[in-house]
Amino acid sequence: MATETVKKKKVRINGCVASAQAAKYADVDVITAYPIRPYTATMIALAQMVANGELDADYIVADSEHSQLSIAHGASSSGARVFTGSSGVGVQFAYELYSPISGTRMPVQMMIADRTLDPPGDFGSEHTDALSTRDMGWLMGWSCDAQEAFDNHLLGFRIGEDPRVLLPQMVCQDGFFVSHITTDVELPDTGQVKEFLPPYKHPYPLDPRRPVSHGPQIMPEQGPPLQLERARAMEGAVPVIEQAHEEFAKIFGRKYDPWIEEYMTSDAEVVFFLQGAHGVTARYAIQHMRQRGAKVGLVRLKTIRPYPTDRVNEVLSKFAVVGVVETNLALGSVSSGGVLYAEVCGALYESAKRPLVLSFMAGMGGEAIVLKEFYWMTQKMLDAKKRGKIEKRTHWVGFEE
Amino acid sequence: MPAIEVQRQMLPMFGSPNQGARFYNPELPQTEPFVPGHRTCAGCGPSIQYRMTSKAAGDNTILVGPTGCMYVANSSYLCTPYNVPWAHTQIGSAGSFTAGVAAAYEAMIRKGKWKGPFPNIICEAGDGSASDIGLASISGALYRNHDCLIICYDNEQYANTGIQASSRTPYGGMTTFSPPGKMVPEAKTLFPKDLARMMAAGHPHCYVATASVGYPIDLMNKVRKGLNHKGAAYMMIYTPCQKGFVYETPRSIDLGRLVVECGLYPMWEWDPAKREFDYSFRPGSMRPVSEYLKLQGRFGHLHAEHIATLQKFANAQWKMMGVELPDALLWAADAKNLSDMAAADEAVAVALTV
Repeated sequence: MATETVKKKKVRINGCVASAQAAKYADVDVITAYPIRPYTATMIALAQMVANGELDADYIVADSEHSQLSIAHGASSSGARVFTGSSGVGVQFAYELYSPISGTRMPVQMMIADRTLDPPGDFGSEHTDALSTRDMGWLMGWSCDAQEAFDNHLLGFRIGEDPRVLLPQMVCQDGFFVSHITTDVELPDTGQVKEFLPPYKHPYPLDPRRPVSHGPQIMPEQGPPLQLERARAMEGAVPVIEQAHEEFAKIFGRKYDPWIEEYMTSDAEVVFFLQGAHGVTARYAIQHMRQRGAKVGLVRLKTIRPYPTDRVNEVLSKFAVVGVVETNLALGSVSSGGVLYAEVCGALYESAKRPLVLSFMAGMGGEAIVLKEFYWMTQKMLDAKKRGKIEKRTHWVGFEE
Repeated sequence: MPAIEVQRQMLPMFGSPNQGARFYNPELPQTEPFVPGHRTCAGCGPSIQYRMTSKAAGDNTILVGPTGCMYVANSSYLCTPYNVPWAHTQIGSAGSFTAGVAAAYEAMIRKGKWKGPFPNIICEAGDGSASDIGLASISGALYRNHDCLIICYDNEQYANTGIQASSRTPYGGMTTFSPPGKMVPEAKTLFPKDLARMMAAGHPHCYVATASVGYPIDLMNKVRKGLNHKGAAYMMIYTPCQKGFVYETPRSIDLGRLVVECGLYPMWEWDPAKREFDYSFRPGSMRPVSEYLKLQGRFGHLHAEHIATLQKFANAQWKMMGVELPDALLWAADAKNLSDMAAADEAVAVALTV
């Protein structure tokens, strides 16, 4: 049974259900599930849709996340549109498969609702789970609310399945802050989705009528051209991503910058740089700080792979101080804090006018970053601006005066 | 749109007056989905099995190759021995990747996205993949009953990585991870995992069988039964490895018969409809295990007591199949009646040849 026709309508759903709805609208063929909070709610919703006959898909309860991803790999290799997902340590359990899936150029889509890694057992959202896979050849970005999540799933299929790209996608959302917060989401008409998202057609599927061999053993000298090809696919995705966002705006009426969202930056001196749901709180904090005269703004990174290096350089070079809000853990890294600091500094190295960069370890363990903490971080950035240099690279927010 | 019914093909059985006979069978298809020109060793048991299996399956077939010899030695980039679609997957993904292929075809045929009869989907997993790292993934695929055949080509070791013990390596088998020495004169001290029985017991809705390259017609018929069975099927096939077993290259098929004649590789089928084992397969003769062991360098270090231990193990297998033991085999289970294979020093010399 094909997907039921649903006229464009507003519903109140959380991020997990928005992701499930997107998979339904994309008319996925194979779904692979394995339970782990908080992303489970997506698979619960999809199970019900399949049971109700709203979506015709093979819904497979895998025996582990490793199996989940390899079932997805096998199904995508055969020509099916595949949807999977995970959270936290589940993302890690499947780690082996990320490189083979992108290496064989299979556009599997994976929904991530972030969860802190063990130890200790913690349900809270931290971006470390997905970020630890960031260099495996998957397109990757964070949504800040349920609507954006829904849209990013459709965009992900469109971009990843484009024959010029053929790469898997990790469509990430913060656990709980997006996955379990109910908001208004506009669901499109199926006709709009059909117009935007053509059927998946891999050029070389496992088809007995056109035999191909996938993933044979290579000699070391055959490695460089293959790796270069994968690197070029990632770079080649850039114009496809931009084109897809333009067409998305035309068809659905929602216009996104695919790389960066800027909020109150036109006259800002200091800015936050972050990904995902904490951007919502940051906007409110910025409004409050603005009332007190602080020229603060927000730069939210929307796509981290491929990383918009030049764009980050161009945007952040305008400011005096950048405060990176990490929400992830990179122990012993460049800043001894999070992953994003090095990504920001790397992009800024070629800038003629480098801002000061601070790394804020906030929202760790999935704790909410409250307004008070945003005020405190703003003050640290203003202090650095005044002093003309940073006090230190990394601040653990909540542990300092 | 109404769901499109999935069409399935049925493959006929090969007739043979004696399942174990080695003669030219005119019914064998001409097709060679697995062609020569790959890089496996001369006399490679797994690749002989691969040829038989894919011949029995025919051209409407998709092969899945988890990491192992049959991945590394067969598939060389820009050159492939597979005349049908083949995909590599990770060593722990044998069952899961295969399940994905099967699920994709179910969905695509049902939704009208692919037209044609359901393909034969065969996974060729080595015993390392099948008995150790990919065990859960295969169990998952059998449990969920995807329409596919998962084969464990059992060469009783991790051969691709240079001969390491797997949970299918027999008691007394020397590998680089289970070498003989003063403290462990028998080398491998553990008995092999009873893998195929475990799969039959745990997934009784599946067709499960054991086979050996020593009995090609029987092997190919079992492959066809597994493919004809609607749902998941599992086979564990004895495929000797010249490199790891250390034997004379032309004797692969002989070993494939001897292992059965010595009772070390029980041949059976699990009938999912009747929910019972079929132990009716009988080799032409029964022999003491020493006749099998003495042809292989990997057992060259065994002492009389170890050979007796293996004979007791074989005798238990015969009993399990309902075979009455001749006195000669009972006699052979007593170490007093046996002699050592070689001294420990010589075993070390043999080990260096591995």
